[in-house]
Amino acid sequence: MNGKIIWTLAQKELRDALHNRWFLLYTIAFIGLSLALSYMSLAGAGIAGFAGFGRTAASLINLVLLIIPLMALTVGAQSLAHEQEQGTLAYLLAQPVTRVEVFIGKYLGLALSLLASLGLGFGIAGVVLALANGAGSPMAYISLVGQTFLLSLTMLSVGFLVSALTKRAGVAIGIGLFLWLTFVFLGDLGLMGTAITMRLPVEQLLWLSLLNPLQVFKMAAILDINATLDLLGPAGIYAMQEYGAQLRGVFLMLTALWILAPALAAYMRFRLRGDF
Amino acid sequence: MRLLSQARVAGSVLLLLLFSAFTLPLRASASGQVTPQTVAETTQCGHVSLQAMIDEAEAGDTLVVPAGTWQAPIRIDKPLTLEGQAWPVIRGDGSGNVVAITAPNVTLRGFVVAGSGKSLDREDSGIRVSAPNAVIENNRIEDALFGIYLERAADSVVRGNTILGMALPISRRGDGLKIFYSPNTLVEGNVMRDTRDAILWYSPYSVVRHNDFADGRYGLHLMQSDHHLIEENVFRNNSVGVYVMYGTSFELRRNLIAANRGPSGYGVGLKEASDVLMEGNRIVGNRAGVYSDSSPLRPNTTVTYRNNLFAYNEIGLEMLPNTQNNRFQENILLDNGEQVNVYGGGDLTRNEWAFDGRGNYWSDYAGFDANGDAIGDLPYISKSLFDSLIGVQPELRLFQLSPASDALDLAAKAFPLFAPQPRMSDPAPLTQPPALPPTPGLESPPTATNIVVAVAMVGVALTILAAGLRRSKRQRRAISAQPA
Repeated sequence: MNGKIIWTLAQKELRDALHNRWFLLYTIAFIGLSLALSYMSLAGAGIAGFAGFGRTAASLINLVLLIIPLMALTVGAQSLAHEQEQGTLAYLLAQPVTRVEVFIGKYLGLALSLLASLGLGFGIAGVVLALANGAGSPMAYISLVGQTFLLSLTMLSVGFLVSALTKRAGVAIGIGLFLWLTFVFLGDLGLMGTAITMRLPVEQLLWLSLLNPLQVFKMAAILDINATLDLLGPAGIYAMQEYGAQLRGVFLMLTALWILAPALAAYMRFRLRGDF
Repeated sequence: MRLLSQARVAGSVLLLLLFSAFTLPLRASASGQVTPQTVAETTQCGHVSLQAMIDEAEAGDTLVVPAGTWQAPIRIDKPLTLEGQAWPVIRGDGSGNVVAITAPNVTLRGFVVAGSGKSLDREDSGIRVSAPNAVIENNRIEDALFGIYLERAADSVVRGNTILGMALPISRRGDGLKIFYSPNTLVEGNVMRDTRDAILWYSPYSVVRHNDFADGRYGLHLMQSDHHLIEENVFRNNSVGVYVMYGTSFELRRNLIAANRGPSGYGVGLKEASDVLMEGNRIVGNRAGVYSDSSPLRPNTTVTYRNNLFAYNEIGLEMLPNTQNNRFQENILLDNGEQVNVYGGGDLTRNEWAFDGRGNYWSDYAGFDANGDAIGDLPYISKSLFDSLIGVQPELRLFQLSPASDALDLAAKAFPLFAPQPRMSDPAPLTQPPALPPTPGLESPPTATNIVVAVAMVGVALTILAAGLRRSKRQRRAISAQPA
């Protein structure tokens, strides 16, 4: 593995991201929506004479849950499949670079471009919030951005796996969108329905929902901002009492698992595939 | 005349003390003859006991107690005024009460009281008063199970004290302030941290004003007690801010009630409380802003909420379906996770959600005001399928803030088949938030740091992009070497 090669490939990926219309669209949408949200929550802060960062953060969490997985999944799903379709991947692999360098370079480049777009969205919204005295503690904001970045990495890994398993970019994006729908809506709605009909005990409900990396992000972000999960009712209170201080570790572990496992599987597939 | 001469003598005694009190413990008697008592050793050695000074004093005397550590337990069994100079410490040995006041008309001022026992059964206290007309003022009570305990001490004053609890789990702590069968008590300007409750039982006509009670279980608990004014206090970081149980006639005005959390955390809890007026309070960031059960209980009384702010609570108003005859006027319900929740399902339609043609300001009001009278032309109706669901099945709260819960509400709007029943409706919602009176304890966040952090984020993003766009020297050379 050669760090210089990886960095060169990552740079190429960053440049490609700037030319990728999907990516630009999502970034602009994210910046616009986070700005609008902070503006709306500021209207409230004026009334209260209070920083309403809790609620701003809550609506930001909601926004992040919608947009970031969409962005990371489509970008990830395109990564290998698109280049393979265009034939550039075969050209790249013919160069004196190893597959692991190509894979890591691509992943790093896309991760950095996601980080850049998060930085722009949160940063611009943050400036507006801070200027109007509506922001809360800076640490809470930073940790929210950090959690969001981790979430985007989980979805990027899943996107890479989809990309490694498909041949056409169109199919990969389609699967990516379906996965997005599942993570964001179908999974939770299904679990809600199950909880109502089966009368799931709180413990099972909690763990089933933690299978979804989006829920892990949500709980971790709420924990950072509120220091408790009371907001999430009995299941949240159960989690606090049962795991308490270990909860952060549990969330981090689950997130790491969701980042590493799909990425590793994607790499295995990428290494073994003959048609690239 | 006698009073005047007493005051004069007391004044001269005080002057005298100013010169001599640094090293010498003195006893000053204000009842005619002045007998400054000189002691060879300093008080730390315990040569003079405070108890002995009290025993020698006569009723009505003023004892000025110099700095030093005095051995507890102390019993004050005659009307006396004890003034601490430069914070003398009365230290208990970790058992029983530290100071017990058993006579009426006792004033205790300017002491550090520390080291009570830990027995919840005996209710070991820092200062225990069991006679009327006591004045407990400007003391600092540390490491005491119960801080100040008034028991059958009517017409007393508890003012300007700092009460710090013991570092125990909350179930083994005592009450920082317990006022029991002591009507007409004034509780003013006290600061209380890390204790269990401040509680008033059977102590009608007591006033609680300008206090700051934080980090306990109940910020203030009113129990079986009537006619209270609760004014301009700060109740923060307790499990419950103010809990009013079983009583009549309460006024809560201009309090800041913030961040009271926990499984059953409320800003204000009302249980079988009648004739309540809440006005100008800021109720912010609690698990539930108000929890209301069977209030008002008495017929022909109301609970009135006027000009309060309910903001950023997880639930703004959490009410049992038995809540009726409540009156809501010119409140601001701002960005609560759930504005109104009917605990256990049902509705709150038997309350007046507007009065005199003025309703409340709801931050999620989606109507309009065509005639420009600052009152919305459509009623504010609280109905949400997801909120109704979590009213019945609270564990689904786990899905709060998920897009899936929003999708449910969207579906309920699109397909009225699933439309939930409205839980309340405000016929005259305000389109402009009404002005609020100031409350104590407001603070602004650190703006400069926030701006720096936010700008740094943009900076990081731009750096990454620049790093991606900048080609290395070798690449540039390679490109320029290419034929055009």
